[in-house]
Parts: sequence; C-alpha cells; structure tokens
Amino acid sequence: MKQTFWATSLVASVAMAGISPAIAQETYKIGVSAGLTGYAATVDRAWRDGVELAAAAVNAKGGVMGRKIQVIVEDNRSEPQEAVTVYRKMLSSDKVDVFVSGCVSAGNFAAAGLLLRAKVPMMLCSILPQQAEHLPWAFTTLPPAGFEVEKRLEYLKEKTQIRKIAVLHDPTPYANLQKGVAERNAAKFGIEVVSVDQYKQDDADLSVQISKARAAGAGAILKIGLGGTTLTAAKNIKQLGADMLLLTSLEDLAVFGPVSEVLGDKFFFVASPSQVYEALPEGGLKTGIKAFLDPWREKFKDRDPNWASRGWDGVMLTVAAIEKAKSLEGEKVRDAYETLSGFQGTTGVYNFRPDLHQGITENPFVLATIAAGKVKVVQ
Amino acid sequence: MTISPSITSPERRPIALRLAGLLPWLFAVVVVGYAMVVGGYAATVVSFALIYAVFVTGLNLFMGFAAQVSFGQNAFAAIGGYGSAVLTATYGWSPLPAMVIGIAAAVMAAAIVGFPTLRLKGHYLAMGTLAIGLITYEITVEWQSLTQGYLGISGIPPFGIGAYEVTSDRGQLVMLSLVVAACAFAAARIRRSRFGRALSAVAGSEEAATALGIDVSRYKLMAFLLSAGFAALAGSLFVHVVGYVSPEVFGLHMVIVTFTMLYVGGIGTVAGPLVGALIVSLLPETFRAFKDYQDLAYGAALILLLIYAPRGLASLFAPRGRS
Amino acid sequence: MSSAVAARTEASAAAPGSARPILAATGLSARYGHVEALHGVDIRIGEGELVAVLGPNGAGKSTLLRAIMGLSANSGEVAFRGELLPRSDAVAVATRGIVLVPEGRGLFPPMSVADNLELGAYRLRDKAEFNRRRERVLTLFPRLKERLGQAAGSMSGGEQQMLALGRALMAGPKLLLLDEPSLGLAPRVTGEILETLGLLNREGLAIVLVEQKAPLALELANRVYLLSLGRIVAELNPRDITSHDDLAQHYFA
Repeated sequence: MKQTFWATSLVASVAMAGISPAIAQETYKIGVSAGLTGYAATVDRAWRDGVELAAAAVNAKGGVMGRKIQVIVEDNRSEPQEAVTVYRKMLSSDKVDVFVSGCVSAGNFAAAGLLLRAKVPMMLCSILPQQAEHLPWAFTTLPPAGFEVEKRLEYLKEKTQIRKIAVLHDPTPYANLQKGVAERNAAKFGIEVVSVDQYKQDDADLSVQISKARAAGAGAILKIGLGGTTLTAAKNIKQLGADMLLLTSLEDLAVFGPVSEVLGDKFFFVASPSQVYEALPEGGLKTGIKAFLDPWREKFKDRDPNWASRGWDGVMLTVAAIEKAKSLEGEKVRDAYETLSGFQGTTGVYNFRPDLHQGITENPFVLATIAAGKVKVVQ
Repeated sequence: MTISPSITSPERRPIALRLAGLLPWLFAVVVVGYAMVVGGYAATVVSFALIYAVFVTGLNLFMGFAAQVSFGQNAFAAIGGYGSAVLTATYGWSPLPAMVIGIAAAVMAAAIVGFPTLRLKGHYLAMGTLAIGLITYEITVEWQSLTQGYLGISGIPPFGIGAYEVTSDRGQLVMLSLVVAACAFAAARIRRSRFGRALSAVAGSEEAATALGIDVSRYKLMAFLLSAGFAALAGSLFVHVVGYVSPEVFGLHMVIVTFTMLYVGGIGTVAGPLVGALIVSLLPETFRAFKDYQDLAYGAALILLLIYAPRGLASLFAPRGRS
Repeated sequence: MSSAVAARTEASAAAPGSARPILAATGLSARYGHVEALHGVDIRIGEGELVAVLGPNGAGKSTLLRAIMGLSANSGEVAFRGELLPRSDAVAVATRGIVLVPEGRGLFPPMSVADNLELGAYRLRDKAEFNRRRERVLTLFPRLKERLGQAAGSMSGGEQQMLALGRALMAGPKLLLLDEPSLGLAPRVTGEILETLGLLNREGLAIVLVEQKAPLALELANRVYLLSLGRIVAELNPRDITSHDDLAQHYFA
C-alpha cells in the first residue's frame, strides 16, 4: 500500500503542477515556437537568438508603446504535434500577444488553425501555410522560393556559357518549391533543366545522381537543400572528375569552407546580405544590417548571422506594426503588418500587402564564392 | 463464445484492493475532468494523451496480452491518418467513412506483413515491423502527389454528427474520452474472453498453448490485426483533431513515446495504456518550466518510475499475480 | 490396489502391442536443435494400455513425446487409430485427442487455476460437457477446487502437477502423454498422482508415462520400453523385472 500511496501522490502532483497558469505581467509577449532540438535545431536556435537580441535592443530603448517585450520560447522538437502543444501553451497559459516563430513549417501549419481562432498573428521564419483560411494571420520574413534559384540562373546566363543544368534537391517543402521554380523559370534565362533528382538529408553518397546529371549533359548542378550533403556532392563531383559547377543554396557559411577546398573556383553559393556585409556598398541595407550585426558580433563573434538576422527582422517588423497601429491588439497588429511597406530590414526591403504576406519582393541575395579564404561576391 | 466466465472471484479480494483497482480510472477521470474545466493548453495536452491512449491500448493487445513485439505500429497510425486526411481534404469525403477506409487499409497492410512474419519467432517479427514502420514513413515523404511530402496536408475537417462539427476543446475531449472508454472496455472484454485467454496462453508459452490445440500463429495474427486497427483509429483521430498531418507525426518518435507509455502505465494491464499515456504526456509539460533541463527532469522521473513501479503504475493497484 | 493389479494382469496377458493399437509410430526420428535425438523408433500403444518409457537422462524420452505431439521437426510415421497424423502440426494432433503434459508442466503461472483449467478445454464448445469435465477434475483433485482463484504459479509443486493433469483431462484426451510427472515432488504426493493415473487407466484411458524413477512406473505399467541414446533397446513386461539390476542388464546388453 505504501507504493500505492506513493504512486497516487506522484500522479496527483503531476496533474496539479502540470498546468498552472503563469502570472500575468504588464509586458508585450512574443511567443516563439522553435525546433530547438530535432532537425531544425541549428536554424531555429539562431532564429531564437536573433529574436531575443532584437527584443533586448527594443527594451534598451524603452520597449514598445511603453511595454517591455518579453520573449517566451518553447521547443517544439521540430515536430508538428509538439508545435501544436507549445502554441497552445503559449496562447492559453502565457497569453502571448504575437508569435515570431521558427522554421519548422509543419509545426506552423499545424498550429495555424489555433491562431486563427485566437486572433493572434504570426511572423514566421518558414513558408506560409497552404490553407487559404489560415493565410490572413500568417506573415513571413522568408524571401520567395524563386529568388535563390533565379540568382543562380541569372549568373549562369550572364557569366557562363552553360545552358544545360541539373537540379538536385531534398524533400523539404522549401526545396520542393524551389525545384518547381527552377523547372518553370529556367527557360526565361535560356537554360534547360536536363535532370532533376531528389536526395535525402542523410545520404552519404550522391554519385548516382551526379553521374546521371553529367550523362544528361548538365554543365552545372543547382543543389537545393541544407546540410552535410553539400560537401558530399562536392566530393562526388571531384571523384567522378565531372567538369561541372556546383551552385548551392543559402546556408551557414561555416559549411562552405571545406566545400571550397574541394571544388575551388567551381563552387558558388547563394548568400544573404548579412553574410556578405563587408562587401556591400554603403546604403540603407548596410545600415539596416549594421544595427543588427554590431550587437550580434559582440555577443556571438563570427557565428553565421543569416537566420538570426531574419529573427531580428521578425521582431522589428512587429514593433513597426504596433507603432503604426498604435495598438497592441492582435487584430490591429495583423492589419498593420499588411500595410508595412518600404521597411528596411537586414534581409532586404519588406513590402507587405493585404494580398501579399511574404514581404520581401526584391531579390536581396547575391551569388558568392570563396577565393583565398575570403567570401567574394560574383553577382 | 465464452464458455463460462472466469471463476476467479473478484468478490473474494479484500475490499481495499478492489477499491485500489479503481484508482487508475479515478486518476484518468480527474485529469480529463480538470482539462475539461480549465480548457486551453491543458485540453490540448490531454486530448493528445487520449489519442495516444487509443494507440497504446492496441499496442498492449499485441505486446501485453500476446507478449509479442512490434516496432512498426506507427505505420498503421500513418495509414489510418493519411487515409482520413487524403479522403477528406483532397476528395471531400466526410470523416467517418474516411476513417473506416483508413482503418480497413491499415488492417489489410497488417495482414500482408503479419501473415508471413508471425509464423517466425521473436526478433524476425520485430525486425519486420520495424521495416514496415520505416517504409511507411518513406512513402509518406516521397509519394508527394498523394501526401504532399513534408508540406503535409492541411484543411482536414473535424469529426461531426450531421451538420454539427466537434471543434471546441471540450467537445473534442468528450468525444475522445468516449472513444478511449470504449477502447478500454473492449480491451477488458477481450482480456476476459476465450480469445483473450488464448492470447494469455500464447504469451505464457507458445509450446504449451500449441499442445492445448491453440493455433498460436493465427491468434498472434489476430492480435496484430486488432492492434493495427487501434493504431489506425488513433492516427485518424489525430488528423481530425489537429486538422493537419505531415510525415513527422507518425515517425520513430511515436514508437518511442508509445513504448514509454506502455511500460510506465503497465504492460498487460487494462488501465495501463490510459494511465501511461496521461502520465507520459503530462510529465514533460510539468517540467516545461525547467527549460533546458526539461528533458533531464523528465528522464529522471521516468527512471524513478521504473525503479519504484517496474511493472508499471497500473500494476501497483492490482493484486500480484493478477495484473 | 488389488483391482489395479488385476486390470494390469488382464491387459498384459495379451502379447505386447498386439492389442488394437491406439497409436503406432514407425521409424520416428527427431531433431532437437541440430542434434538428432531420436533414431528410427518404433512403438505401439494399445487401446487402454499404460505404457512406460524408461531411460536415463538424455535418452530421448521427452523428445519422443514431443515428436508424437508434432512439436519437433521429425521424420517417420505416426498413426493414431489407424490414421496417419500430419507432421509437425501439434494443433492437429491435439484436436484428435492426444494431450501432452510436458516436462515442467507447461502451466500458465500468472493465470488462475480456473483459467488454466478452462484453457485445457479450449477446443470444446459444448458447455454441458465442459461443466461435466470440470466437475470430474475437481472431484479427482479436490485441492484444486479450494484454489480456483489462485494464480497457478503460487501453488506447491504437487498442486501444480495436479493442475497440469487436470488441465489435460479438461481436453477430454483419448491418449495422454505424461513427461516425468514425479519430477521434484515428495514421494507422498507422487503416490497420490500415480494412483489417480492408475484410476484413469482402469477407466480405459491410454497413457504413455515417461519416467526416470523406474520403480514407480513399473508398478503401474502394462508394458515398458527402455530408451537409450535415442533408440529403443528393449520392450519388457514389468512382471519380468524384479530388481533394479534386471533393468541395468538390459541397458548394457
């Protein structure tokens, strides 16, 4: 019976302690559902750090509408059902005012219905939900999928003789969207896509796909997707002795050093403005990035700023929307998001419209390579 | 078809023990009731726990009652879930028939895998089930024209009766509680039935069961099909409650969580799956305030549970030998 | 015991195995794992006979019973009442009325005595017949009646053996295969159980009794097979064996 008692009391205390409401404070609460563990960890940890850095900067200047910003971060383990739980927790227990959530798109999709009902908007790292009724409450800092692809096609057209390319992509939604753009738009640049192949993020060998691309006559490979596979692809290209360029997606700069050692001047990558800050011309963009990059470097040294810079933008866009709406209310902030235009962020200029919740409308990306250990912009 | 009810007389057990046997159910009622009153976040956590309880009840039929091992039940949840999702969101069916088709498809898949593998013993079956779990996951990722891959399927309608749709937290909790109660009742009936006793015999000793004329592989297959049916039901419930599905929902994560629930709750008991599902869902939420130490606290709590209740929480309330 | 002796004398008056056989195995070989543990054994069990199979540890006694039951990979033929039994299909063998009480009894320890008994009659669907058998078993073993709700594993060895036998009887056997029922039991309990076996046999039940303790078996058996290293080395009338030395002689012959 002693064990019985023990178990009962444990169970009871779990039930009671589990779900006690947080004490309300006079702060403006930003909720972050981020995959701090799981596949999105690298990206979403950076996103979170960007959000927290921005909140600290805003608070140092007295907050927004007289309120300090409080950031509440919950780990969704990169899984949709966990995301639903943490969104729910932040909505009902923490009474979050707005979400500036990370890159686990499935998690943001799964929770989109909740936000609609709670009338709380979200500014995302990931792509927008697919469901039409969910769209009004979701906004994203993500540049359109085509931009990364088009920058690469543009370079091939203008600076090379290559007119046949291969596309290599992973199965994530964002990569799939980009693949679609490549297939549809290549012709506009006078380029033909001669082979399209998918790989998995944990593949240890891509030589089959690369051989196929070479056999189809491709002079360059557009690789779409993140992770260690970029280095794998580079090594395979070298092993096969294939005379091809490798043009990869936006990624943490740390990944590119080893790749460049393998392929040298045959390797190019898409970079966001914050990653090539030093090479940028003076102007609005550089000033915008500087506001973020100074505190970022002070705190995180030479850690890649790309994902964090968009997290920073997410908070700054929210602050701008609040100030424009002169209200902290979810519905008013949502309306204000839709009217933000010409907003200079770290990733480019945001122009939201009621019918356009993906604010970046001009391609902010550059194409870069690594020459003599330094990042060099080529397009 | 039972010849006679078990003569094992519960009325001869001391009254204190009989009341103790009710404690797990009382606990479940209190937790669900609390979630019903408080709503919000608590309702979400408990709703998911109840869906898991359906899944684990099925897992328990196969692993607890029949003492077999399956690492691939998530495959059947995926088939049930995607069956529901595709038929409702893409083809505009209503949820109930979509669910029925999803469950039927999962049971059929289970028959295809189970028929050859269940004749084998031990690890062959375990490996076979692990394979089907992984293969199904790959299919949900790769068959993009049907499943939309990692993008997932949104806009899955909630359950409803006629024009009335169950969308409120409390409505969903009531619906899920009814489903879980029905599942637990079914499990209790199965356990006391001729079929259930045959499963216990198979669990005790396959050879002794065979010598008594019990067709061991047939009963293992039946238990496997039943558990696949429960898994598919859980998968379908999940997609209709959340309104969205993507491959990660039914990944390896689900296998780990549900195994934990089964062992924490008490494998082979009737109340165990429900208790385990509730505890394992609530524990991490309890420790959420610990932030980075959440997993550590949760892990420590699990270890404590395994030390003090090695046969599961539900078995603490059952007299020894009759768990 | 006098009537038992009389019955035995009567049955064994006929030449060994000449009674109409209920079971006849010819050239029965079986493997136990990778080892062939039985080499071309021929045995016959007459209707209503109690046949003892004796032999030292590892002689293949248990393997013989398992092979008849279809529980091991085997070759050779087993006919039951003139009909060939399917090979390696224990369920089919059990359905025909051959019931094995295996080595170690094969009970389901966490289940109650009542549930264990019920599983014995698993293939029976006739409720009246079920109740009749149950009544009979509880009359034969009154101690089981007191322990119906108790877990089988919590009982003494003797009680467990009674339960194993009772469970076998619930199946309504036509031929009962018993693997060392005396193992690990006190002599008094063994005597009780063997007495019951004698009673069942007198009622006409054919029994194959595997034993290491020869004297016990010899007292009951109509006929004896001696098994050594997987082969039948002798077939004897128990009356011809007067001392332990006689048995030993046969082994070394």
